[in-house]
Amino acid sequence: MPTVEARKERAPFWSSLKDRVKGFLPAKKDGDAPKFKRPKMSRMQRKEAVAGWVFASPLIIGLALFTAVPMFCSLYWSFFHYDGFNISPAGLWNYVQAFQDDEVGISALNTLIYAIVNVPLNLVLSYFLALLVNNAHKFTRVFRVLFYLPVVIPAVVSGLLWKDLFDNTYGIFNKILESIGLPKATFFMDPRTAMPSLIFMGLWGVGGGMILWLSAFKNIPKDLYESAKVDGANAFQRFAHITIPMSTPIIFFNLVTSIIGSLQYNGTLIFAPREGRGIDDSLFLFGVKIYWEAMRIGDIGYASALSWMLCIVISLLTLLLFSTSKWVFYGGD
Amino acid sequence: MTWKDLKNRLTGEAFVEDRKAKMWDFSKTTALFLGMCVVAVVLMFPYIFMVFKSLMSESEILDPNPHFFPDWGNLQWSNFVTLFTDASSGYNYAQALLHTMIIIVFNVIAIPLSATFIAYGFAKLKWKGKNIVFAAMMLTVTLPGVVTQIPLYVIYSKIGWLNTLLPFTIPNLFGGGAMYIFLIRQYMFGIPNEICDAAKIDGCGPFRIYWSIILPNCKSIIIYIVISVFNSYWGDYYGPLLYMPSSDAPITFAYAIFKSTVEGLASTRWAAVRMAGGVFMTFFPALLFLIFQEQLTDGALTSGIKG
Repeated sequence: MPTVEARKERAPFWSSLKDRVKGFLPAKKDGDAPKFKRPKMSRMQRKEAVAGWVFASPLIIGLALFTAVPMFCSLYWSFFHYDGFNISPAGLWNYVQAFQDDEVGISALNTLIYAIVNVPLNLVLSYFLALLVNNAHKFTRVFRVLFYLPVVIPAVVSGLLWKDLFDNTYGIFNKILESIGLPKATFFMDPRTAMPSLIFMGLWGVGGGMILWLSAFKNIPKDLYESAKVDGANAFQRFAHITIPMSTPIIFFNLVTSIIGSLQYNGTLIFAPREGRGIDDSLFLFGVKIYWEAMRIGDIGYASALSWMLCIVISLLTLLLFSTSKWVFYGGD
Repeated sequence: MTWKDLKNRLTGEAFVEDRKAKMWDFSKTTALFLGMCVVAVVLMFPYIFMVFKSLMSESEILDPNPHFFPDWGNLQWSNFVTLFTDASSGYNYAQALLHTMIIIVFNVIAIPLSATFIAYGFAKLKWKGKNIVFAAMMLTVTLPGVVTQIPLYVIYSKIGWLNTLLPFTIPNLFGGGAMYIFLIRQYMFGIPNEICDAAKIDGCGPFRIYWSIILPNCKSIIIYIVISVFNSYWGDYYGPLLYMPSSDAPITFAYAIFKSTVEGLASTRWAAVRMAGGVFMTFFPALLFLIFQEQLTDGALTSGIKG
């Protein structure tokens, strides 16, 4: 009985007949001997090829209309003075302007500080949190759910909530500080405390990293630790030579996604004073700057140029991360 | 907890010890339990406070000496009623919820259907150009949102889509995003090809195979997609912020909360009602997470939708 594979291989009757006929005809130009050439595609394969494009057609239409066209528009407009109505050529003015605009400098610096502090801090703290719940005790499952719950809460709600917690007069945090004898804090209302407050607030989502670390631990073969112990490796050596190398794929994944996420972050729009900019622009992030240029000032051309610059920075950073990722250990032999 | 235990714990290999020592000694359990309790209290504190504040009365909110606990004898459950019945704050939350529900119902049907349709072509059919189309799709994952959001705002304003629900529904007829299609494709690789081949021999075309064989087999990934779609549109404030600039736009619930947070003062009595809105907004995502924990955390890992 022919297997399914063999049936698939068998060409349909019509095309094999055509081939047989071709074989009896004289060779066309050069004096090659007549060959029984396999048809390029059987009828079934051809049908499948057409079906493939039909199945992909919604995607292609969607990509063209809602990604390619806007991308092209934004690239085109980035070389023009454009406010949505009047357009006039600007050459490279928008890109040159970006390097002379103080607000771009401030927002880029703020974004950089945010990413550089936030990403490693979350990585390290979530590691310790994962260690805490990395056991088989029956209550641990409940705690894992509790630790992950803040991640599930919508960003608007956590913005609303933290704005309220941090409020200088009515906020509960100052009340707590006062009740344990500490001075009141200013949180978002002072340029010096605004960024640390933002980073502190970000720690609420530490459960997201915890889940990633836990799955990394789960994938480490237990006997590695056993044999390392037999070989006399101490705790730190086991940490440095087993736990960390075996977790590098997850660390790398976490690093790439959270750096990209931090650079685009514009959540301060919800809770920071002065409509997302913070006092003295202390919380003015690059994503917020683009929003301001496009929606408040209405300089679509400039905003487009800024968003392409962000795109280039993110692409370069991603490439850099991938090209320096020799330290990532993907197992295997 | 001995020093050795602590050291093992710090290297992430505690489970080896756990399995060895089947009986947990009391002190170790207590220390661990206490540690977890402390973290739980710290992480749950903001959330518990939000629930408490949503039950406070106007005078409690306006007290410059803020309370943590609400007045237990006088819990203001009416804040949740006011949220949906009284639009005099300027935010019609009931209507906003209706708009959110329309968007979600549409997308929860449109995205799984169109995304599985597209993914089937990538996972199970052989056609020329497949890899190029797939690569083009995956490139959009790395594209920052702003690159398309701002020009789309201009385009929508030209074709009259601003201040309507169209920007939140129509684009999702085309797969709803590369990540969903990618995930479903990965999932479809797990469905054996033999089933499709058998159907082919019985004379089924690719559309029949997609509809009656592949789609029913994608149930668990569809559950994941539906929950993700629900969560992303339930909490979406940024889309309406861009595409609903007019004051009489059909705003969504999340955007109503956003507007109220940005515009409202902490001291007005609407602060408690707004908190009630926040509690209400958290309820469904938290419930879905509790029910579908396993699928969601696994999905979060494979997809990189880092929560």
